[in-house]
Amino acid sequence: MTPHPDARIYLVDDDAGVREALAWLLRTRRLLSVGFDSAEAFLAELQSWTREPDVPCCLLLDVRMPGLSGLALFEQLLALPWQAAMPVIFLSGHADVPTAVDAVKRGAFDFCEKPFSDNALVDRVEQALQRSAQELAQRSARRDMQQRMDSLTERERDVMRLVIEGLPNKLVADQLNISVRTVEVHRSRVFDKMGVKSAVELANALRSA
Amino acid sequence: MKLPPRRWLLWGALLALVVSLLVVLVFLAAEYEQGRDQSALEADAASVVSDIRNGLLRNVQTLQSLHSVSPSPFAWEAPAAEVLALHRELVRLEWRDNAFKPRVARDSPYQVEPFGVLDREQALPDLRQACDNARRISGPAYSPSYFWPMSGGRGLELMELCLPLVRGGQPVGFLVATYSLPGLLAELPNPDLLRSRGLAFTEADGTRLALHSSVSSRRTLVASALLDLPGHTLMLRLESPRAVYALFPNVLTAVVGVLSLALLAVLGLLARDIGRRQQAEHELAQALAFRKAMEDSLVTGLRARDMDSRVTYVNPAFCQMVGFTAEQLIGTGLPAPWWPPELVDEYQQRQAVRLAGQSLPREGWESVFQRSDGTRVPVLIIEAPLIDARGEQTGYMSAIIDLTEQRRVEEINRASQDRLQATARLATMGEMASMLSHELNQPLAAMSSYATGSLNLLDDSQGPLPVAELRQAMQRIAEQAERAGRVIRSVADFVRRREQVREVVAPAALIEAVQPLMALQARKQGIRVVVDIEIACPQVLCDRTMIEQVLLNLARNGMQAMPEGDPSTRSGLRVLTLQVRALRPPADDALRKPWVEFGVTDHGQGLSEDVAQKLFTPFFTTKVEGMGLGLSLCRTVIEQHGGQLNFDAAKPRGTVFRFTLPSGTGERLSSAP
Repeated sequence: MTPHPDARIYLVDDDAGVREALAWLLRTRRLLSVGFDSAEAFLAELQSWTREPDVPCCLLLDVRMPGLSGLALFEQLLALPWQAAMPVIFLSGHADVPTAVDAVKRGAFDFCEKPFSDNALVDRVEQALQRSAQELAQRSARRDMQQRMDSLTERERDVMRLVIEGLPNKLVADQLNISVRTVEVHRSRVFDKMGVKSAVELANALRSA
Repeated sequence: MKLPPRRWLLWGALLALVVSLLVVLVFLAAEYEQGRDQSALEADAASVVSDIRNGLLRNVQTLQSLHSVSPSPFAWEAPAAEVLALHRELVRLEWRDNAFKPRVARDSPYQVEPFGVLDREQALPDLRQACDNARRISGPAYSPSYFWPMSGGRGLELMELCLPLVRGGQPVGFLVATYSLPGLLAELPNPDLLRSRGLAFTEADGTRLALHSSVSSRRTLVASALLDLPGHTLMLRLESPRAVYALFPNVLTAVVGVLSLALLAVLGLLARDIGRRQQAEHELAQALAFRKAMEDSLVTGLRARDMDSRVTYVNPAFCQMVGFTAEQLIGTGLPAPWWPPELVDEYQQRQAVRLAGQSLPREGWESVFQRSDGTRVPVLIIEAPLIDARGEQTGYMSAIIDLTEQRRVEEINRASQDRLQATARLATMGEMASMLSHELNQPLAAMSSYATGSLNLLDDSQGPLPVAELRQAMQRIAEQAERAGRVIRSVADFVRRREQVREVVAPAALIEAVQPLMALQARKQGIRVVVDIEIACPQVLCDRTMIEQVLLNLARNGMQAMPEGDPSTRSGLRVLTLQVRALRPPADDALRKPWVEFGVTDHGQGLSEDVAQKLFTPFFTTKVEGMGLGLSLCRTVIEQHGGQLNFDAAKPRGTVFRFTLPSGTGERLSSAP
């Protein structure tokens, strides 16, 4: 499968040679990358962003760097709400392997030991981008659902809750102390606003969100 | 000063006893005085009685003589008047016949009509009774006394004396003499005895019959005596005013009084003295408590020894330090119970030197004590002579400071310093590999990326070959390869640089440099380090830092081969020996320079065959924390110097590691061995 044409790969490594070489390699696989020579530089870039990324992205992060280390940067990223949308792949030297393994346990996407088998690394990058795309889609679906929910009135939300529980209109009317007719009106409006056609569909949509 | 109630009671009882004793003494003295007065008075009374009796007897004789000279009534009157004039006590003389008829009578010229108021014959019954008595006993007899009223309301107590007159064996009548009792009292006794005294005749019941004189005082001494006369008995009463004694009437009482006062004063002084003593005791107790608290609170151990080095005092801190109780320590001599057994000889010598030398270093000296449980305590001892109140030295007082904590901190400091140094050294030798791998990894990774990328481009069948891109990639690969080459070159440079720092050093200086670090571990493990350098041993040419590291490594291995308890302290084998000697070249090769051999000997368990074979293999180790680089690096270092590192079993147990170094005289060794 081909990745998103606008997918972004962020490369953080203090060694310019390694950075350029990787960027060049990725380009040969039609992947765009942006290099940063330190964790601090990448953090500065992050701060300039006004909203969370809307295209798939991933981060290639060197473990051992002067200044803020790769691991410390990862710690800070974990605090971001959309961190899952930007998978992190650690690049490590021989001595840093245990550190990198530890990082994977804490949620990093993967680690690659230097010197790496390059195309394998690029494959992992593509998988990471795929994961990122999924995550982004899920986030946007969730956001959409939230917006639909927000558009419901108080009464409509009550009706929806009872409908999802599987109560027939009659019982819903009894519980809310309103007429069956009114329940029917609310119900059709809820289906309308939530973009679904049946109660089962509605329940599924809510569960996935 | 506050006294407990019991003590007040004792003092009160003592005071009461003394006061009552004094009162009794004064009373007895007064009693004695009085008794003496009383007996004097009684003697006087007796002599008054005898005076009266004698007077009466004399009177009887005078009256008898009167009758023998003047038998006729006419001739009788003149001598009778004479007798009356001489004896004022007589009131009347009568001569009566046998029928008591008066034949002649004469009154005393000193009494005016004594028988004017009442007729004389009224007294006849008394008279007759006396005369009957007189006739019966054929001698003078007296009548009972009776009161005779006289004119003017006066009266006299009278008593009759009847003297029977006998002529030719026949009674011819009676001579009757009437005595006035007051007259008797006035005339007969010796007047000296009566001065300021009262004298009276009384009845048996004390009724006064006749009074000569009386005393006005109410407090009187009274003595009575009986005047026994034929026919009648009179009671004589002599009164004397009781002497009004002052509080101290005489010497005796005065002496008693003065003594008592002195006693009281002494008592008072004693009380004050006891008070002061108690105050002093109290202060002393306070001072003692203060001192005790001070000694108990000290963390510094205190120990006093007499001139024979016997312990005379220890404080709790000292007891805690050596783990014995004070009772166990007091009185112990040399060797002291806290001396480590293997150091006893050394300490004995040191003690002897100290005692002989007299001078005690003010800053103290360091030593090692062994606690009762066998653990060692490093201490600092500061000793001062103990001078008594007479200025003579009676022993030594020592303050002992536990250096364990200080040592621990020192050790931590040294250990961290040690680690730092080791790290630094490893960077030059062992860890360089890690550095190297990282440094080489980077260009290799880059090269690999370019190569893979190039292959990707070549495999990509779409469009023409991107020649420019491929060229760029090749160029980058070349650049990175050059970079890797630079890394390798810098390593080679480093090795060369180290060879240039070889210098000529005395073996002693090498050992001295590592001594503190060795001593630290040795002290911790209770190991003695012995350094034995051959006299006139030549200097060696070496990279000083490296060789020091080798020495330290071997020494440390040696000490690690002797963990605590193996060999035991008692065996005396807990010794690490550093030996340096020159290896003389064989005689046929006199031109060659001598080599110097260093030996490090431990007395551990020795090496098993298995271990011995793998000993110099890199990354082989018997230690939990070891990297297995120490010995192999050591050998590398020694071989770089042209020497050899080998090992052998030591006697009686353990291992000896030996390495050789070239001797040097200042010129440089050729750069490559």
